[in-house]
Amino acid sequence: MSHVAMERVAKPGAVSFPAVTVTNLTKKFPAPGAESSFTVLDAISLSADEGEFVSIVGPSGCGKSTLLNIIAGIESYESGSVTVAPCASKADSEPRIGYVFQSPRLLNWLTVQANIQFVLEAQNIPRPKWQELVSKYLDMVGLQGQERNYPLNLSGGMQQRVAIARALAIEPDILLMDEPFSHLDAITARKMRFDLMDILAKAGSTILFVTHDLAEAVFLSDRIYMMNTKPARIFKEVPVDISRPRRPEDSKILDLEKTLVRDFFSVLEAKN
Amino acid sequence: MASGSISGVKSIGLRAGSIGLLLLLWWAGSRLMDDPEILPGPVAISLTIGADLAHMGPDGNSAFLHIGLTLTRIIVAFAASMLAGTGIGLAMGLSAALESALLIVIPLMLTMPTILMVFLAVMWFGFSEAGGLIAVMAVVTPYVAVNIFEGTKAMDKSLAEMGVVFKARRSLLIRKVYLPQLMPYIFSAFRYAFGMTWKIVALAETFGLKYGIGYMFFFWFGQFNMTQTLAWIVIFVVMMLVLEHGVFARLEGRAFAWRTSPAS
Repeated sequence: MSHVAMERVAKPGAVSFPAVTVTNLTKKFPAPGAESSFTVLDAISLSADEGEFVSIVGPSGCGKSTLLNIIAGIESYESGSVTVAPCASKADSEPRIGYVFQSPRLLNWLTVQANIQFVLEAQNIPRPKWQELVSKYLDMVGLQGQERNYPLNLSGGMQQRVAIARALAIEPDILLMDEPFSHLDAITARKMRFDLMDILAKAGSTILFVTHDLAEAVFLSDRIYMMNTKPARIFKEVPVDISRPRRPEDSKILDLEKTLVRDFFSVLEAKN
Repeated sequence: MASGSISGVKSIGLRAGSIGLLLLLWWAGSRLMDDPEILPGPVAISLTIGADLAHMGPDGNSAFLHIGLTLTRIIVAFAASMLAGTGIGLAMGLSAALESALLIVIPLMLTMPTILMVFLAVMWFGFSEAGGLIAVMAVVTPYVAVNIFEGTKAMDKSLAEMGVVFKARRSLLIRKVYLPQLMPYIFSAFRYAFGMTWKIVALAETFGLKYGIGYMFFFWFGQFNMTQTLAWIVIFVVMMLVLEHGVFARLEGRAFAWRTSPAS
């Protein structure tokens, strides 16, 4: 599958390095009771540059989460390659991968602060740095003062903020987000999207964001990959050249969303 | 936990009240009966307990020797059964083969009447410390194992996956992800195991041993001394209540603070 070379709005003064490169990735699950196997991901190629926000949009069950899990290194694949490069300033170290799941997946028996320290310990980040990292990223997600609180005392939106702070606290080379707002009510989700923009502008992270919500993808992304199911392939790559800060009601955003919805349905109908 | 929505002060009041009521009923019953040979009142029993603790008892042994021995037996048997049961339960959670093998054996063990286990242990191992220990372990270990095994099955796999994604080592996962999820199961096994242990130890002492609180029941029962028999029962029950509520309930309250702690 060939990709159209992308023209991206270069960030002024920045030389971009690919933070993630996925080339011709194919993943199969053995189909139950059959000789052949079911292809979950078919020759997927994509990349995200340092500091870029890249979304992967597709219908449920198209293998988006599997793709993130492969990049996170917890699922195997048959062929192709996945490279996560540590950012240029620490090129000789292991790449760090942050992950925000659909549900917060917090350890409810640990305080907010201890939840973040858990991943800092997991990543061998020296203990003297913990205090600073914890308060820096809790401040960033708007949860200052909640260090000693327990997750079950927080609302769903606040729990997901802790999960975002946890993923950012390891200062990841790539931050993977798997439909992180899909479990929240519409109003909370909207507020979280706005705040995520601010947070990421401060943190400067590279994001690979999976969603089935085109409006969300257009609002948040620098670039969008559109994925189809059966076989799971990327059929279109779309740059979002809309200046920030953005408003969800902005006509440019609504127009692009309409175009992408049409594209999706024409691909779906062509198959049937 | 136990108090639910009832506040601390109120729950202490309720407990004190129910114990008071029980004592009152006992006192009224003994007055009605009017025969200290059959049902001595709470005052007589308290005085007897005081005298037993202050003086040497039968065979020239002090009450504290019996109490100490019983406590030691309970603690040793309890610790051994908890360790063995937890180990077996974890192993069953990790190995499917062990799981299917033991899920056949354990229900067999659980259906055995406790008193038969004590008789069997005494017949096989004689009137010895080993007999009592083995009787307790035979009854309590399978129960603990089943509980812990269920805890391993109920674990939230998505949390372990989260840990692995963030590259947590096995030791960190065990400390912060697996063990805390097992705690409710460990505590419930803990409580039941403790209750079973002291009942079986008392039984084994009554039937087969020469020292201990159970032996004292048996000794005074043989003398048809109701006051002394009841006095030793009270000593035993009070000791177990103090352990159960003073030690375990406190530990449990601490371990599960995260469930009820108010927002800071």
